Amino acid sequence: MTQPLSEETNSKGVDLKKTLSRIKRSVWVFHINTGSCNGCDIEILDVLTPYFDVERFGIKLVASPRHADLALLTGPITIKTFSKVYRALSAMPRPRFVLAIGSCAVGGNIWFESYSTIGGFPKALEMFSEMGLEIDGVIYVPGCPARPEAIIYGAATLLGLQKPKTVYRRFKA
Amino acid sequence: MIPLAAKTGTVTIRYPYQGPLITDSFRGAIEIDSNKCVGCGACTRICPPKALMLTTEGNTMTLKYFVGRCIFCGMCADTCPEKAIRITKEFELATGNIFDLYTDIEHEIKACSMCGKTFISKKLSNKIALKVPDMPQETMDLCPDCRRKETLKRFMGVPE
Repeated sequence: MTQPLSEETNSKGVDLKKTLSRIKRSVWVFHINTGSCNGCDIEILDVLTPYFDVERFGIKLVASPRHADLALLTGPITIKTFSKVYRALSAMPRPRFVLAIGSCAVGGNIWFESYSTIGGFPKALEMFSEMGLEIDGVIYVPGCPARPEAIIYGAATLLGLQKPKTVYRRFKA
Repeated sequence: MIPLAAKTGTVTIRYPYQGPLITDSFRGAIEIDSNKCVGCGACTRICPPKALMLTTEGNTMTLKYFVGRCIFCGMCADTCPEKAIRITKEFELATGNIFDLYTDIEHEIKACSMCGKTFISKKLSNKIALKVPDMPQETMDLCPDCRRKETLKRFMGVPE
């Protein structure tokens, strides 16, 4: 187990606060489904439509990754979709952020060691950095599917409105 | 359409200011009581996505819980013989660091007195000794393989 990184910096040591300060206006989101079962996608729909109405916070769905600040990524990233994910994310302007939604995107769920999936966004992130695609910030939202409230909480965590509750814990039995 | 909308009114849930809808049957992240856990591994065998894993490193056995892979089915809480796993209503788990999603529980491990192979956690061994008082201590200290050989020796005599 590697040492947990500090909250303020991402894996490359880039100051997240400084990067976030470059987002001055509303966050526009682009939705990428990478082989998800549609459970998380329905929850995202719930967040965007009037029931949870995330437009209260200025978060708006756009049709092109070229207009987006944040990608809502669901699914375990199958081998087939990997190149499409790469192209969509590289089309996004800097600073680009990713909200990995659902346990598929976070840890691969039951497909984490399958032959046909990459096995979650952390593994894809390593491959992206090898390929020269930089991602300024990733927030992981666990849940199967992630509740709409959990997605709003994840977006608030990304924008620095509150500190994440979950921390690494180690006990002796 | 407009009269219908006027009749319905506002349906939006003001989430951060208004509490989330959590029913009695809602299942969130699990919580493992490290005092009760004996490291038997029943939860790791039943866990569908292997969010719970037992790994052995040297003299410690670690029960790893990765919330990021958990599907919140609650099977581990049902199967735990010690009732060490509790289902909480926690779902606000979002974090920027993947390592924050891990919870580790360290167990001391017991080595076989004959071959030196590690095979069981000390806590589980003590638990078995309590439940089966007739078991001789020499047998308890052996790993399953050596135990088989010893039993065979006792019945068949020492092989030449």
